[in-house]
Amino acid sequence: METGYITAFWFIIISALTVPLMLGVGYLLRPKSKVTRRKMTSYECGEEPVGSAWVKFNIRFYMVAIVFIIFDVEMAAIFPVATVFKESIANGTVALVFSEIFLFVALLLIGLIYCWVRGDLEWVKGVTKFAPNK
Amino acid sequence: MNKVLLLAEILTVASALVVGFHPNILYASVFLLFTFCGVAVMFLYAGADFLAGAQIIIYVGGVTILILFAIMLTQWLYKIKLADLRNKMILPAILSVAVAVFLYRALHQMVATLPLQTPEALEKFTSTPKTALMGHALLGSYLLPFEAITILLLGAMVGAVWLARPE
Amino acid sequence: MVQSAQFAHSLEGWFGLLPLWGWAAVSAFIVIYFLALPFGGLATYIERKIAADMQDRIGPNRVGPIGLFQFAADAVKMLAKEDFIPKGGDRFLFNLAPLFVVVGSCTAFAVLPLSKYLIGADLNIGVVFILAVTTLIAPGLLLGSWASENKWSLLGGLRAASQIVSYEIPVALSILPIVLISGSLQIGSIVEQQGWTVFGENQASYHFWNAFHNPFTFFSMFLLFIGGLAETNRIPFDLPEAESELVSGFNTEFSGMRFGLYALGEFCDVFVMSAMVTALYLGGWHIPFLDIEKLGFALPTALVAFVQFHMFMIKTLLVVFVVMWLRWTLPRLRVDQLMGMCWKGLLPLAFFNILGTALWMWVFKGQSLMQLLAGHG
Repeated sequence: METGYITAFWFIIISALTVPLMLGVGYLLRPKSKVTRRKMTSYECGEEPVGSAWVKFNIRFYMVAIVFIIFDVEMAAIFPVATVFKESIANGTVALVFSEIFLFVALLLIGLIYCWVRGDLEWVKGVTKFAPNK
Repeated sequence: MNKVLLLAEILTVASALVVGFHPNILYASVFLLFTFCGVAVMFLYAGADFLAGAQIIIYVGGVTILILFAIMLTQWLYKIKLADLRNKMILPAILSVAVAVFLYRALHQMVATLPLQTPEALEKFTSTPKTALMGHALLGSYLLPFEAITILLLGAMVGAVWLARPE
Repeated sequence: MVQSAQFAHSLEGWFGLLPLWGWAAVSAFIVIYFLALPFGGLATYIERKIAADMQDRIGPNRVGPIGLFQFAADAVKMLAKEDFIPKGGDRFLFNLAPLFVVVGSCTAFAVLPLSKYLIGADLNIGVVFILAVTTLIAPGLLLGSWASENKWSLLGGLRAASQIVSYEIPVALSILPIVLISGSLQIGSIVEQQGWTVFGENQASYHFWNAFHNPFTFFSMFLLFIGGLAETNRIPFDLPEAESELVSGFNTEFSGMRFGLYALGEFCDVFVMSAMVTALYLGGWHIPFLDIEKLGFALPTALVAFVQFHMFMIKTLLVVFVVMWLRWTLPRLRVDQLMGMCWKGLLPLAFFNILGTALWMWVFKGQSLMQLLAGHG
């Protein structure tokens, strides 16, 4: 392991310690506050909160996360190949590396175009499909 | 040096135990995040720095978010108390022990093939940067698996998008 | 090696007082407490002052000369504010969330190349390190918003997480051309290679700033910048905390110093993103067309580090200024426009840039535009 990671660990430790430090200073500085029931309710623009805050949301958020993971794994695979590209120009294997990168980009692009054509990239699907100007 | 490694191992195992036994599934997924971070630190100590970075990006940034989204999407999943499942733990326990034994044997055989027998060799192995080596390997002996994985991922993407369609 | 330790070594007599890990701790402490956090504080003042100038107002002018100590007053106010957690909320996750945000943004400072000699840790995987560490912010925001038990918060947190996650891809893909050019993920070496000088003898091996390496990297810089804006939830991508629809988004229930930590983390993240644009595309600590270490006479290392540090800060703060400028220029995007821009706009363009850069490198044998013009092709 590189010794540079020791510094990185210290950055993590010190920045993590900053949070309790600041909250602790705040705890010592501020006047004692009275806790009332209304104060502890969650903020809904002054109204009494209605129902649970944990509402249902659009499944598209989930979709985005799935597609992200796939793109991310691809990227993790292409970064090491990209680091070799420069020296491959010198030692004459550039055609192989270039075709590798090209293939990578092309396959991702095919996936992207597939989603695009099928309309999976539209956030508000119904609206765009049946919009009057189309 | 090794104190950090020890700390990371404790973090990994302890948060893995929380993942396994905490009744609240949201907490379990938060501690899963810490397990991933601990594993990344172990990768660093094995000299696989790029792998550690990729581990954090993919697992902490991607998989954890995906799990959190899934939990938040399905509220009955959040309210379920996993402690109800305590009496159904015999089969998982047997399975996990079997997997552990298998992994131990596989890793043991793999390590035996690596040039790590002396402390100096180990030091040399863990201190060489692996990113470029990985690049060369992906272009050389692992060219075909690499392409296969790219196509597999393309299939995975198409499948995921297809499954998630509302119709 | 720990770069700052090397620097300390050049100041004779200092080195040896502490072991290596001690120097590592000291440099981490200095960077976080004398660069990251003060920047986070001052940025709030600068932002208000810039806003005032653009809207023909005066802005903060009461505390100290030209209101310069406004941020200190704000900090005191935040520390003295009441601190509470909503009753239905989740205490543990509520406390954990700011930690993720602060660690995610401040740890990235470890690999920022403040000068050739002032890098916390010039890691082999520097670029990937920044990407990895800043991903911690997304789960932090999501968990904090969930723990608040507030509808505004949850919606804001979901938007934040999905936005950060989607724009991570254009950001990483617009770093890829730089990796192709430099053949390295190490930020120090990426910056070093951008030191093309007018009369230096290193013209053949060093190219000018990566932004001017070829037309594709020039576009790629803007992609990285736009992606960075979205990752840090800045306008026009501030949907997660859109005041007019979500009150304050994911930090609605965070009061006092907890909110302060969120704001601090976010401004630090803005700095990290701007520093990344600077280091990867705008030559980092290089003075344009000049290498102060090859002037013909030797300068003390401390002076070189001093000059380079200021060069880096000037460039980075200029990028930060553009970020703040945009805030008072552009309206907010809609959520479908946001996702459309990422998947249909930035992503195909990033692919185009990668292939274009690779082709350029192949055709011109890795020479940059500047090297070709100077006849080193």
